[in-house]
Amino acid sequence: MSKDQGRVVVVPCSGIGKPSGSVSREAAYELCESLRPQNTELVALSKLVLGDAATHETVARTPCVAIDGCQQMCASKMVKKSGGTVIHAVAVLDAFRRHRELKAEGIAELNDAGRKLARVMAQEMADTVDAIASAEAAKGESHA
Amino acid sequence: MPEGLEMTAGKFTFRVPEDRLYTAEGIWVLSEVDRPSNRIRVGLTDYLQQHSGDVAFAFVKPSGARLSADETLAEVETIKTLLELPSPVAGTVVEVNPALNLTPEVINQDPYGEGWLATIEPTDWGADRAGLLGPREYLSHMQSQVQEELEKP
Ligand code: SF4
Repeated sequence: MSKDQGRVVVVPCSGIGKPSGSVSREAAYELCESLRPQNTELVALSKLVLGDAATHETVARTPCVAIDGCQQMCASKMVKKSGGTVIHAVAVLDAFRRHRELKAEGIAELNDAGRKLARVMAQEMADTVDAIASAEAAKGESHA
Repeated sequence: MPEGLEMTAGKFTFRVPEDRLYTAEGIWVLSEVDRPSNRIRVGLTDYLQQHSGDVAFAFVKPSGARLSADETLAEVETIKTLLELPSPVAGTVVEVNPALNLTPEVINQDPYGEGWLATIEPTDWGADRAGLLGPREYLSHMQSQVQEELEKP
């Protein structure tokens, strides 16, 4: 099994100045640092925008989860532009539609509702990450 | 997209079509009263939708609802804020945009077209019409609002 098998790259948008951009990043930290550190790799959107070669290569060879703060969908678009594959796109707006009570406010510091929305999103993405890891593991076994 | 005026502030451009009237709150009113339908069509201006952010929910008073002018016609909740939108005229709601149920983001995508909110049969269009702003008046009102925003600390 290669070291990337069962791993996903997580790309949050870089929405500075918008609470939904902050939710997107908080959700990515929660997923990659707390919930599934062994199966995820966090990639900063700015590295893709700036054309960092190593980051482009990682994104191109690893399935990506994109987290978008608004309908501009910067993370999803940038992954595709970098030659990557978005296997799962998550939008803060959709998460808010499912959890109307969790309205994010604050930019430098999110309010409690915003942090909770980020945790809810991270948990939902963790389930997706697990499903990818199991599928990859099953593939690996069938090739053994 | 109808012909219109526009203003640009930084990376944002706000369009104001010339074929309709406006309220200071940012609702456009397109008259269809010269057609057999005798209705007006209303929606959010480009400035109001851009300023308010991505729409998550839109609830409009149902068809048949009777409204006085300034009574709440719709609540539009965006990722940033909750807008309570007053009716620009007194009248009866005839039709609510069915797209708002499943895809309220149509308000952001096409505010002057597919993103309309409702059609209303006005009780006294002549009187209510006199209180609305023309495109140039709304443009200048919007310019002051943008200026105020830019001057905020
Ligand atoms: S997706 Fe929206 S919030 Fe995120 S970086 Fe792009 S414009 Fe900003």
